[in-house]
Amino acid sequence: MIAQGKYTESYLLNRKSNVFPGILGRTCDRPCEPACRRTRVEEKPVAICRLKRVAADLKGEYKQFLPTAPETKNGKRVALIGAGPASLTVANDLMPLGYSVTLFEKQDKPGGLMRSNIPSFRLPESVLQEECDDILEMGVDVRYNSPVTSMRDLLGQGYDAVFVGTGAPRGKDLDIPGRHDTDRIHIGIDWLESVAFGHIDKIGEKVLIIGVGNTAMDCCRTSRRLGGNDIKVMARRPRAYFKASPWELEDAEEEQVEIVINHAPKRFVIEDGRLVGMEFERLEWDAKARNSRVLETVILPCEDVILAIGQENAFPWIEREIGIEFDKWDMPKVDETTFESTRPGVFFGGDSAFGPKNIIWAVEHGHQAAISIHNHCMGVPVTSRPPQGLNIVSQKMGLSEWSYHNDYNPSKRQKMVHVDLTERFQKLNIEVELGFDPEQTAREVQRCLNCDIQTVFTAKRCIECDACIDICPVQCLTITRNGGEEDLRGRLSAPAINLTQALYVSDALPQTSRIMAKDEDVCVHCGLCAERCPTAAWDMQKSDVLIPFAGISVCTNSYATV
Amino acid sequence: MHQLLRDRVNDFAFKLANVNGTGSASANGLIMQAIFRMGIPVSGKNLFPSNIQGLPTWYEIRVNREGHTARALEYDLMVAMNAQTYARDVKEVRSGGFLLYDSSWPLDSHLIRDDVNYVGVPLARMCGEHFQDSRERILMKNIAYAGSLVALLDIDMHLIEQLLEGKFSAKPSLRESNHKSVMIGYEYAKKHFDCPLPFHLAKMDGNQGKILIDGNTATALGAVYAGATVAAWYPITPATSVMDAFTRFCAKYRRDKETGANNYCIIQAEDELAAIGMVIGASWNGARAFTSTSGPGVSLMNELLGLAYYAEIPAVLVDVQRVGPSTGMPTRTQQGDLMECAYASHGDTKHILLIPADPAECFDFAVKSFDLAEKFQTPVIMLSDLDIGMNDWVVDKMAWDDSYVPDRGRVLTAEQLEQMPKYFRYSPEDENHVAARTLPGVHQKGAFFIRGSGHNKLGGYTEIPDEYQEVIDRLARKHKASAKFVPAPVIERREGAGFGVITTGGCDRAVREAMQLLANRGINANYMRIRGFPFDDPVVDFIEEHPFCFVVEQNRDAQLKSLLLLETPVAKNKLRSICVYGGFPLSANSVVDRILSQVEAK
Amino acid sequence: MPSIAKPVAKHPSLQRNKLDLTIRDYEGAMSTLCAGCGHDSITAAIVKALWKMSIEPHRIAKLSGIGCSSKTPTYFVNGAHGFNSAHGRMPSIAAGASAANRDLVYIGVSGDGDSLSIGLGQLCHAIRRNVKMVYVIENNGVYGLTKGQFSASTDIGSTSKKGDPNRMPPIDPVTMALSIGATFVARSFSGDKDQLVPVLEAAVAHRGFALIDVISPCVTFNDHKGSTKSYLASRQSMVRPIETDFVPPAEEILAQIGTNGVTSVTMHDGSVLRFTAVPKDYDPTDRGKVSAYLRERAAAGEVVTGLLYVDESQPDMHEMSQTVATPLVNVPYSKLCPGSGALSKLLDQFR
Repeated sequence: MIAQGKYTESYLLNRKSNVFPGILGRTCDRPCEPACRRTRVEEKPVAICRLKRVAADLKGEYKQFLPTAPETKNGKRVALIGAGPASLTVANDLMPLGYSVTLFEKQDKPGGLMRSNIPSFRLPESVLQEECDDILEMGVDVRYNSPVTSMRDLLGQGYDAVFVGTGAPRGKDLDIPGRHDTDRIHIGIDWLESVAFGHIDKIGEKVLIIGVGNTAMDCCRTSRRLGGNDIKVMARRPRAYFKASPWELEDAEEEQVEIVINHAPKRFVIEDGRLVGMEFERLEWDAKARNSRVLETVILPCEDVILAIGQENAFPWIEREIGIEFDKWDMPKVDETTFESTRPGVFFGGDSAFGPKNIIWAVEHGHQAAISIHNHCMGVPVTSRPPQGLNIVSQKMGLSEWSYHNDYNPSKRQKMVHVDLTERFQKLNIEVELGFDPEQTAREVQRCLNCDIQTVFTAKRCIECDACIDICPVQCLTITRNGGEEDLRGRLSAPAINLTQALYVSDALPQTSRIMAKDEDVCVHCGLCAERCPTAAWDMQKSDVLIPFAGISVCTNSYATV
Repeated sequence: MHQLLRDRVNDFAFKLANVNGTGSASANGLIMQAIFRMGIPVSGKNLFPSNIQGLPTWYEIRVNREGHTARALEYDLMVAMNAQTYARDVKEVRSGGFLLYDSSWPLDSHLIRDDVNYVGVPLARMCGEHFQDSRERILMKNIAYAGSLVALLDIDMHLIEQLLEGKFSAKPSLRESNHKSVMIGYEYAKKHFDCPLPFHLAKMDGNQGKILIDGNTATALGAVYAGATVAAWYPITPATSVMDAFTRFCAKYRRDKETGANNYCIIQAEDELAAIGMVIGASWNGARAFTSTSGPGVSLMNELLGLAYYAEIPAVLVDVQRVGPSTGMPTRTQQGDLMECAYASHGDTKHILLIPADPAECFDFAVKSFDLAEKFQTPVIMLSDLDIGMNDWVVDKMAWDDSYVPDRGRVLTAEQLEQMPKYFRYSPEDENHVAARTLPGVHQKGAFFIRGSGHNKLGGYTEIPDEYQEVIDRLARKHKASAKFVPAPVIERREGAGFGVITTGGCDRAVREAMQLLANRGINANYMRIRGFPFDDPVVDFIEEHPFCFVVEQNRDAQLKSLLLLETPVAKNKLRSICVYGGFPLSANSVVDRILSQVEAK
Repeated sequence: MPSIAKPVAKHPSLQRNKLDLTIRDYEGAMSTLCAGCGHDSITAAIVKALWKMSIEPHRIAKLSGIGCSSKTPTYFVNGAHGFNSAHGRMPSIAAGASAANRDLVYIGVSGDGDSLSIGLGQLCHAIRRNVKMVYVIENNGVYGLTKGQFSASTDIGSTSKKGDPNRMPPIDPVTMALSIGATFVARSFSGDKDQLVPVLEAAVAHRGFALIDVISPCVTFNDHKGSTKSYLASRQSMVRPIETDFVPPAEEILAQIGTNGVTSVTMHDGSVLRFTAVPKDYDPTDRGKVSAYLRERAAAGEVVTGLLYVDESQPDMHEMSQTVATPLVNVPYSKLCPGSGALSKLLDQFR
């Protein structure tokens, strides 16, 4: 749909499961991209994430197609704690079903960490606000500036279900000498939040960031905009072991942030009560970076230090004797499927469920929790999960014509244009990434290998003419005598080396009783096998995975309403 | 004795009537060559049958001190050595002429003409007396009549002996018997007749710097000098001797001295279809390749000539024309392939034609054919004919310019290809509308698929009208551009010319003689001999500057005239046809008579 | 015609040959033949054989006549020069090309119409001339491009799509070639690349003219019940009594191991053919015995496939012509022109 320019439709389709295409299209950790099969035929995956952003940016009038809450409510009340992505997703799924949803938020704006921890040069406030509003405008009862201080009290208010989506709000500290002798050492997420809400607007010229996760990247780049011009991100281990996404590292380095590896913090150097530097041990690691030895110690001068070494959950407001059990790490015990705590009717999701993950997981938690809440309120066991659906349709339109774009585009991953360096540092909220233009978008979309389009083989039709084998650009297909999997893998047109990819082996073929084997590993779904098949033994069929949401058994992905 | 014939020195014609397969050719050649060496302008026309043995064959020799050596129609002397044709031969002797016959057996009374002098020599009887072997007797009878002619025509005996010496230097016994036979005939004639006859020879100095050569030999030599390495052919009269000569010369000049390996490859093909196919294959690969054939072969080659034209592959074809249509008369001469060659093959095709007039031009034009074929990447057809190809002509000795560099046309080297972003076969074109070609095996970037099917200017297959036309229109422009490069017409002007006479090829000498004869009568005309097709501006200008022009050619349908009307803007009524197409070489008289009939009637 | 050009994506475990090229580097344009045409499989086999032999693409010359088969050279080795000539005339073009440049690898592709009807004469004479080339007849027993007429290789009794039987006897290129002195005769099946690829390799290595008759079913006009050249009928009638391995020169030493019961023929370029599973009394170098065997099996209704006959002792066209080892196109003009002195001397004899 993006390729066809149907941005609104694709946005709405994406929104069903993703809920925040505009936000996630900019900020997502992209767990989907490593799975992208494009990487099997070339280096980089399809820019799935950024294409979602393109759809969000270019969508037209869409509000009228959003789900709405019915006038008549179903009489069930649900409380959501924290207006982050998990809670918002629960609201998104439950509101149309007639629930009365109350959302408690300690800040005065919605978004949670999406607002507090993601700098506005990565995520413009307007995008965040719009997608939050799309949910809240269904009639969610939002209570801003209302931190929940006692779970017991809340439970006493008679809600049919409570969902905890408070995130992992506590940044880890680094207790080494000098930590408490200055006010120029900041906890990353707290510092980012202060910046986001306008409480902090400058920093020293020399800044050290401790840690190399994505928060560290946001911290260093934010520092760059608040006056820092000699910024170093300090890492204990070599680059291969960084937690930050590679693209975030690239973006930071593009902004002239120096990333220093193999330095372990030793102490803060305070002179005359003023932070002047930090001492590190320079390390040398063994091959797998398990053990290290100290080469020397160095002192790097600085005016500010930001600690970005991880986050923790904190539930001081949940009483421990109200039936919500906590484990030995002081984390609530949460079912991994239903997201229900040990107290029925209380659910957790997002970072508050299993510790810090990322936004897209929080959304998924929200969807699953919404299903559970709906079950819980309707008297259905929460363990009863609606099944996924699968819809398979042939894509053949003519002799050599398909109802999908079957050509392989050899283009490399499109590079997103960034705002000029000097310009971007002038204001904190100038968005760095400019998105794709329509031409780039089309090219990037066409890099997709159409994994939803499957080759489907009907053995009894095959006359063993070899046409499919000969035409296959990636040597996927082989007609050969049957054998054990290991044996077969070695005898194929090109050896099937990816053992995680199952081999397809057909029934015996009519003329010679050999079998058709397919190594799906690098299939580009070009459909040439099916085009060159004289008997239509091969067909290209589209498989729609139908994902269930709360109250909707399966959702059809073909968007028919526009 | 007829007074008219008295004391005519170095200006007469005689004809020898023989049975083929009897060795008469060597006797006639001996006489011809001896006359040539006496410094007298001479021509010999072999009028032979399409047969190997036993059928009538004639040889005509004309000597003319003025240098007119076209075929004469009247014979002062008939050497009648074939009893089967006595009747016809006797008729052809001009009034007052002579007839030499074998008097071993008396002539029938009906063969006796009052106005002819009969010279009887008992050749068979004498040879029978001197030679035992019956085959040898027949052969030696021919040499014996040559001996008689030495006496009757006053041929230099010393030269005859010299020639026999050279010819049989390796075979003393043959030299001996030949010498003996010559002397038998010579002495008999000396003894019994008043020698020499009133018309006879006398040494002069008319052949300085000249040689006696046939066109096919000269053509073959041209191919050798042009650097042709591949020749493919199918035997056909009258073209076979081109390849015979090429084979001979290659063996002489193209064998590697160290290894004995051949720097050439001659393939006798299974037919003309294959012969031209081989030429095209070899030319595609970058060799200079040619074939020689005659009309029937050209008909077969039409198919692939179209391929070479459309795919733009050089090819050289030598058409030694003979009488058509169909098998026609294989041993008779004609200029009947002009139209076929100009437009050979189906669809819109046009070829470059080079039309030599004599063996010397055969040599030059053969070289030129290869240059033009490669320059314009197209077939070039050299239109010789049987008269030029198989008869001995006195021509200026050909010279070779050692600074000659073959024009290989636009062929890209590996280095040039390496530097090109991308190569396309039919684009871009140069000022002559020729695009650069590449040779197989040189560089991967030059690779493309050559085809006779519809293609666009990039070389790709097409069925799209505009793309097809773009290429076929360029081919027309290319063909037109080649007009500037084919040999220009030979134009000779006379004072007070009232009209023009246009001809081509082997008609040259007869037409020029005719124009001299007309001038002698006060009728002056300008002369133009066309030597190539397509026609360039001078051809058009010549026609336009005259109220009318005669077009003299050797075919029934006035093919040269038709071609001129088709390919130039001249008005139809400007051109008048003179067509002589019976199969024998043209004589001046045929031309004079027809021009006179039209010019006087005016 | 497929909707798209073949994607450039490659399988990561694609092997490279001695020139560091993958098999994809030997592909050509997309086929425009009917889907399932046997010819496309033969194309794939040619691609594989040429790739395996590590022949530089631009040293290959592809030639064809006219017909479905003759379209196929476009579909392999884009980096090679190709010549799509005229109907039945490819053998002469190839002979001429070979005469000019003996160093290229000539791959001729023809069909049963192109070779056994209009081009029968040229084929025979190319065989006689022993032009060094691979000559593949893509034999489907039918005129495809003109929509289904019988060809000269249609068997007696084989029916047209409408059901009319052919009554004229077929020309069998294999026995014909054997009878006129061919030095390399093979038959294979488009659906049997295991056999066809080594046969093609051997053909490239052969000293002279290598004829390979490849049964190649026409899916559109000759793959019906009643046709003797359908996929099914071909599979039913074909027998593979002889297995041939092609062993390139470099691997020769290895191939010597365990040659018991194996007939080996050393090729002109030093490679070795190893014949295994050879029937009793069958000698692939004995023309008479091979002919007799083929006649016997044909009478039993079998179509024998494999590299049936090879004779490496016969000179090719260039050897017969005693042509220089240097390709004629590379002989400099200075060596070809005798010069003015020689001409003057020669012409002095014409006096």
